[in-house]
Amino acid sequence: MEAQRKVRTVCRGCHGGCGVIATVQDGRVVKIEGDPQSPISYGTLCSKGLAVLQIAYHPERILHPMKRTSKGWERISWDEALDTVAEAFRRVIREYGPESLFIGQGTGRDYESHFSRFGNLLGTPNILTAGHMCYLSRIGASLITCGRFPVCDYEGGPRCIVLWAVNPLWTNPDEYKGAAFWRAYRQGAKLIVIDPRKNFYTQRADLWLKIRPGTDAALALGFHRVILEEELYDKDFVAHYVHGWEAFVERVRQYPLYKVEQITGIGEDLIREAARLYARTKPAAIHWGVPTEQTINCTDFTRTAIGLMAVTGNLDAPGGNVFHVPPKVRKVSEFSRHDALPPEQRAKRLGGDQYKLAARMALITPRPAWDAMLTGKPYPLKAGLFVGTNPVVTEANAGRIYAALQKLDFLAVADFFLTPTAELAHVFLPAATWLEQNHMAENWKFHGYVLARQKVVEIGECWQDHKIFMELGKRLGQEWWDTVEDALDYLLEPTGLTWEQFKEKGWLKGEMEYFKYKKMGFSTPTRKVELYSTILEDWGRDPLPKYTEIPESPVSRPDLAKDYPYILNAGLRTPVFFHSENRQIPWLREIRPHPIVEIHPETAKKHGIEEGDWVWIESPRGRVRQKAKLNDGIEPQVIVAEHGWWFPEIKDPGHGWDISNINLLTDDSYESMDPVMGATNLRVLLCNISRCTEA
Amino acid sequence: MGKYTLTIIKEDCCGCHACEVACKQEHGLGVGPRLIRVEERSPFFIPLYCHHCAKPPCREACPVEAIYRDENGVVRIKGEECIGCRECVTACPFGAMQFDQDRETAVKCDLCRERTSQGSAPACCLICPTRCIIWGETGALLDRLAAAKGKA
Repeated sequence: MEAQRKVRTVCRGCHGGCGVIATVQDGRVVKIEGDPQSPISYGTLCSKGLAVLQIAYHPERILHPMKRTSKGWERISWDEALDTVAEAFRRVIREYGPESLFIGQGTGRDYESHFSRFGNLLGTPNILTAGHMCYLSRIGASLITCGRFPVCDYEGGPRCIVLWAVNPLWTNPDEYKGAAFWRAYRQGAKLIVIDPRKNFYTQRADLWLKIRPGTDAALALGFHRVILEEELYDKDFVAHYVHGWEAFVERVRQYPLYKVEQITGIGEDLIREAARLYARTKPAAIHWGVPTEQTINCTDFTRTAIGLMAVTGNLDAPGGNVFHVPPKVRKVSEFSRHDALPPEQRAKRLGGDQYKLAARMALITPRPAWDAMLTGKPYPLKAGLFVGTNPVVTEANAGRIYAALQKLDFLAVADFFLTPTAELAHVFLPAATWLEQNHMAENWKFHGYVLARQKVVEIGECWQDHKIFMELGKRLGQEWWDTVEDALDYLLEPTGLTWEQFKEKGWLKGEMEYFKYKKMGFSTPTRKVELYSTILEDWGRDPLPKYTEIPESPVSRPDLAKDYPYILNAGLRTPVFFHSENRQIPWLREIRPHPIVEIHPETAKKHGIEEGDWVWIESPRGRVRQKAKLNDGIEPQVIVAEHGWWFPEIKDPGHGWDISNINLLTDDSYESMDPVMGATNLRVLLCNISRCTEA
Repeated sequence: MGKYTLTIIKEDCCGCHACEVACKQEHGLGVGPRLIRVEERSPFFIPLYCHHCAKPPCREACPVEAIYRDENGVVRIKGEECIGCRECVTACPFGAMQFDQDRETAVKCDLCRERTSQGSAPACCLICPTRCIIWGETGALLDRLAAAKGKA
């Protein structure tokens, strides 16, 4: 037996970044522990990261390439797999043009740089990601408003923290980690929590604003209203660094507090008190979560929240919301070769004319892609590659997606397991977990770090996604490096370090400098924070943020509310699953064996539903079932349901994708999307419930 | 090594369940036995764990004296002597005594003896994001808790 050795690396169980010490013996990882020296996680680690060995060594994990034949899945070599994908792609390019190809990723296994480079060199503008409604959407709105992405500066010691639709100790909203939040909170920071549900944070908050789901932009405008009326804003900042203040003030005047109370369901006095606490406490930081991005108000909410940071003088101030300085490595955008996509191809981006902010972020909102697959208009989408994504469970109106993917001439999927999406593929490529990956991790984030995720072990014939893009790209005549590590050397080159040297170092951090705008202004057309957006104005859009009523709500659709009287708040997170992942992991599934729908006890009683009963949840688009959990900390009209459910234990190719999948209920209609980003509404719609008596 | 204690500040438990998975990994346990476990009574979370009682009901219930308290005050079980009768599981007021179907024996928290004998804290304590699982030499730990309460 070989002596044990310990390897320092970085988790990617979610959007990642937590430090890990992996113990290896005889070519096998035998233990996962938190790394106390990690600047991100300080030794803590969550259930998902700790359970990686049950993912990596899962008996159902696919460890070699496969093709689907009339007799089922059949093992093939990497050469045959890549040649098959390359030939299918070449045929589409010959017959239809490269725009008839798409590539798609989910939340990503930290391969964004390689993914985008592959797409650009392929010549397709049709890049499907979750970014239209998750993270990239907030970055897009930030870039046009203040030039960079403002991140909660926990290291700088906020004295007031606003948790806006987020549970940082369970889920990881990218830059911020729960461990950092907790440290700052423990230093005595005031806490304002905005959430439709009573939870761990609302219990300890100085103020809890129990919001009607989807009305966050109206609440943020209400905060502005108070700050304006009571002159709580930083007059010097507003005078020198805000573009369009007068117009913005006029817009805010359209939101008197009684109106904000009507929209949000939060009392005027409480809104006033919260706005005062945020504006008067210095420094104050807003930590906001993805629910704010998954409605029609996506861009407007982010812009309004940045407005709060700006007018209170908290932008790029220590302990506020700051622009972290990256280490001097090559940027993802440079590596991605966006310059290589010819303008005539860029012009063909599906939905690009309509959703200009998504196009600016070099991605598309998926609905036009599903339409192109189903109708061939404006041109057919014939083939593609999905990497680490399961859209038939995770994207809006899943029924349409399941039908659309079956229309494709050819689909390749890279993943760990045969998911319901992978079962629709023609070729399966076995991807590596984060334990099997060499990468300069986190380069796409805005927290100022890059971290060495080093390969601890190799398992079966699995390849890290980066290598899949490289080797497939080379077969299609693209320019790549010989090895994954050569490409890392290129990314690291400006630092003077090689991958081998960086690996020893563990991480790099950019040197932080606050108040950078005082020297160079903001990276917007006017060099100011554009509360009045000149870019949106150029696009013929409303240059000022506003609240738009949720298209499917009791307010906007009283007709529909007769049959669907409840507000469905979809996408409740769990601490053990990452979107549609981990349902087959024994340690994690034991903790959460069933999909949970939270119902107020009064509402449950009305329908004869008891704790633990299966419940039908129905919207105009479909019906699924989840198990009832009673919660008196939500409004009786609100139903809160988990997302991401499929059942790996069901062995037919659908794997129960349509049993509890809440996205069979969500809406992908064009009128429900954010008008510039194309964010789909995965969060707030109308539903009805009933007790389910079927087994 | 003197007497050591592990305790949990319940109100700071955020319900992430990381302690459960860390514990399972440390003790090589599969589905079934949960030596530490977080009950969800949303929005409250109730950690259930072995208190290493002064007069352990599990020890008193064991017909074959397989449960004992070691020199550090840790209540432990001799797996090879356990007959699998589950009397201890019934006796434990905290639900901390567990039964492992695979080994057909009772299993319990040993405060990560392998780790703690090398000066490390137990696995659950190390990864907790809110640091609500507290471990230390009993006297010093009680002082720390008293001091923390004084501040609040």
